[in-house]
Amino acid sequence: MRVLVQKFGGTSLDSAEHRALAAGKVISARDAGYAPVVVVSAIGRRGAPYATDTLVDELRRIDPATAPSPREMDMMMACGEIISTAVMAATLQTLGYPAIALSGGQAGIITDGEYGNARILSIHPHSIRKAIERGQIPVVCGFQGVTSVTEESEHGSITTLGRGGSDTTASALGAALEAVGVEIYTDVDGVKTADPDMVPTARTLDVCTYEEVAEIAHQGAKVVHPRAAEIAMDYGIPLWVKSTFSDLPGTRICGDEQVHEEVRRRVTGVTHTGKLAFIHLEIVNEAHKPFVEQEVYRLMARADINILLVTFGPTGFSFAVDRTDYPVARDLLDGMVVPVGIDGGPNTSGAFYIFKLSDGQDLAYRNQRPLLKPLEPLFDIVDVPGAAFENGTIVSVIASRHRQVPGVMAAIFETLTQAGIPIHQVADSDMSISCLVPENEASRAVRLLHDRFALGE
Amino acid sequence: MRSQQKQPQLGAVARPLTFERGRGVYAVETTAGLAHVVVQVGDDGRRVERLQRVLRALADAQIPIFLIKLHPESISFALESDLVTRAEDCLHGLAGECGARGDLSLVTITATSMRDLNDVMVTIAESLQQAGARLYGIGDSHNTVQCLVETAWAAAAVTELTAAFGLEAQG
Repeated sequence: MRVLVQKFGGTSLDSAEHRALAAGKVISARDAGYAPVVVVSAIGRRGAPYATDTLVDELRRIDPATAPSPREMDMMMACGEIISTAVMAATLQTLGYPAIALSGGQAGIITDGEYGNARILSIHPHSIRKAIERGQIPVVCGFQGVTSVTEESEHGSITTLGRGGSDTTASALGAALEAVGVEIYTDVDGVKTADPDMVPTARTLDVCTYEEVAEIAHQGAKVVHPRAAEIAMDYGIPLWVKSTFSDLPGTRICGDEQVHEEVRRRVTGVTHTGKLAFIHLEIVNEAHKPFVEQEVYRLMARADINILLVTFGPTGFSFAVDRTDYPVARDLLDGMVVPVGIDGGPNTSGAFYIFKLSDGQDLAYRNQRPLLKPLEPLFDIVDVPGAAFENGTIVSVIASRHRQVPGVMAAIFETLTQAGIPIHQVADSDMSISCLVPENEASRAVRLLHDRFALGE
Repeated sequence: MRSQQKQPQLGAVARPLTFERGRGVYAVETTAGLAHVVVQVGDDGRRVERLQRVLRALADAQIPIFLIKLHPESISFALESDLVTRAEDCLHGLAGECGARGDLSLVTITATSMRDLNDVMVTIAESLQQAGARLYGIGDSHNTVQCLVETAWAAAAVTELTAAFGLEAQG
């Protein structure tokens, strides 16, 4: 039994015409000798009657002042996929192909109890196997599962998987069923070298590694969710990204060992993501710096603010925050006082550090600073000047193993700076080099880098 | 050319893989044999030009660098220890003073969706401090935080990080 998992997103199901095209993909697979297992998302996007966002809005409207409970929210959100499975199964039945709609729980998908962001713990796909044996095409709800029996949680409580949930369901079912492949159908014909709205010459990649596609997804491209790529990678399941609306071959996503050497060491694409503020804090005392930094991290963590692009330098440290978090981060930092090494009492090397943001944003500093005056004879009172670049975005070059291939960073730096695009900071990992650039230069930066690495050819 | 990834590993710990990867930190590993270089580029009108020259010279000399960071008056990066002399030679006269620190190890903390973990940096900073490991450089991505520390303290850093993130030593 050669199982092929085929996942269809909301735009593949939002009209009779689109559903017929999706059903055609399923029927082609079956006619080719595969046992297709279909995974579907909720139909349409916000505004469509059964889209997840529409259902959520419906629940929120009951009492706008009170957030619905996560458990009931998950039950509501799960309805979108349940409707999709019934519609898709009925479509296949109408075309003469026996199909059976299964909820996540009926498909045996067991998750933890974290409503809204549940993690798949196990899959018991007996009902799917039985359906296949009966000659039926199982149509499974993406994005959802049920809890197992524990002392803490009720049996079979509906959960949803959070972002990328339907892709994750498809990949996980592929692993559980030892599928020959998982096909992710969407409205683009594969993984692109850049956002085609930004770069008209963006090309569809023939092949991509799991690591590349996970990196591309993390860096802003909405192709396959990284969770799905990770499961496929861990279980060695080949993934395909294809278009519901064309017969183009799409992009094959596979393990590193299955691609040529030149694919292993190449620039795959250029992405952009995020609206960021980059904060720089000046502190020169090497001995005290780690303690002050720690307090900043602790403060940001308490406020649920994620930090990235962390940089240590000889005269300070820097980090970026999401721009929506910046006002909170700024207000928390301004006037913050960090005592370091004062346990030994007066006249030791201890100091009080007080954060002072740029002029005009330092109201708390101006109020707090005089309060430290009485301590000046006993301890050092040190200002930590802070400044922020508030309109940044990240442009990333996805480059497999660039750390073994000298020159990628030089090429990026030359390309952007020679075009007059300032780079405020960089970050690199095994799979990418990211540059913080002004948001209004993002499109130009992506296009220049796409050309520089000849990705359209 | 030896790659950074092929350097001898001091140790690795990881959480056993479940069906879907666990949320949060699931592995800590170390890579030895590294160095950290800081090149002064000044903060005048020729800073960008000097940065270009530094990066181009390293590229032309086929020297891979990583953990690249821009500072107001300098650029810093990591590289394999045995490439430091070549790097210093090729950078000579291109920019300002070039200082290198060897005997460093890269401690890599890997997580699923690292950037959703608000408290990960606090935990890392506290663990390194507890281990007495001074941080020379840091880099973060969607699934890793990489910390450059003295090799002498790397094992202690891994021990502290392992305990802090609730990981168990791999058999």
